[in-house]
Amino acid sequence: MDFKRTRIKRLGFVKALSIAGRVGRVTRKYPFEEPLVTPDFRGKIEISEDKCIGCGACVNACPPNALEKISYGKGLYAIKYFIGRCIYCWRCIDVCPVNAITGSREFELATNDLGDLYELVVHDMVKCSICGEYFISTGQRNYVLARSPLTEKYVNIDPNCRKDMFLQNILKRFGGGHD
Amino acid sequence: MTRFLKKSIWVFHLNTGSCNGCDIEVLDVLTPYFDAERFGVKRVASPRHADAILLTGPITLESLPKVINAIKAVPRPRIIIALGSCAVGGGIWHDTYSTIGGYKELTKILERNGIEVDAVYYVPGCPVRPESIIYAIGLIKGLVKKKVKAKVKKAVT
Repeated sequence: MDFKRTRIKRLGFVKALSIAGRVGRVTRKYPFEEPLVTPDFRGKIEISEDKCIGCGACVNACPPNALEKISYGKGLYAIKYFIGRCIYCWRCIDVCPVNAITGSREFELATNDLGDLYELVVHDMVKCSICGEYFISTGQRNYVLARSPLTEKYVNIDPNCRKDMFLQNILKRFGGGHD
Repeated sequence: MTRFLKKSIWVFHLNTGSCNGCDIEVLDVLTPYFDAERFGVKRVASPRHADAILLTGPITLESLPKVINAIKAVPRPRIIIALGSCAVGGGIWHDTYSTIGGYKELTKILERNGIEVDAVYYVPGCPVRPESIIYAIGLIKGLVKKKVKAKVKKAVT
């Protein structure tokens, strides 16, 4: 009885060997070969500086605030992309009005310096023709102008100044408006 | 990389309030398919036996004292591998009341307590791919080259 059991055990080992021989090596040689990345995989996003107008739609949509709008000196602001916080949901790609953001399959992002994980897109700003304050990016102004040429009169005026102008006009209409 | 990292890296897996996504991927790396033991990586049960700490999760306030104790227990030279978006930059929990928001904030606390860390490696991903963990190990051992770089682009108008 005991002898029989050991024989079965030995046979089982042979069976396992034959299966292993049939299957072969399963371990990937990964750093030395191409990784297996499916077409559905979502990786790092790329912001095209040619198309981006700096409207901030992606900043509003980003769940973990990996995309942020930051000031970048006088008359400049930047869209900051911090890869270390991105969760690769690709919502920014869905909301971008000019299709400036594209998704890539890149995932090899390991680094020993946190500064490597920042990407900035710097935008110029337009000066208000009345009060002289910076209020909108040049790309955004051009985007609005291309869509509705009627706004050409108001497009260089800051929203606050525009509000004042509107109130002044109403006052003039009802007989007031002398300062 | 430096000479002390060329030996087999024994890692201690430290979960600091992670959702278990990254922890499952750590498990994945140790399976025969991705076999991290090719590079001498072995998971150990105590930080006193470890060379590196695999840190997952945005460090919660509850786990913070334990994290500091675990890092203190690792013998020098000690390295920390921050896995996943939560550990690197706080991820979706970067401004929540109950977390400190990733390793970025932990460095300040470690400095205040006088604990030195010799090298830190950041591995973004939500969750991290097993391949990107292997890539990070390759980076530590000098088998692969670093691909990411900080970029400042000027918008064309």
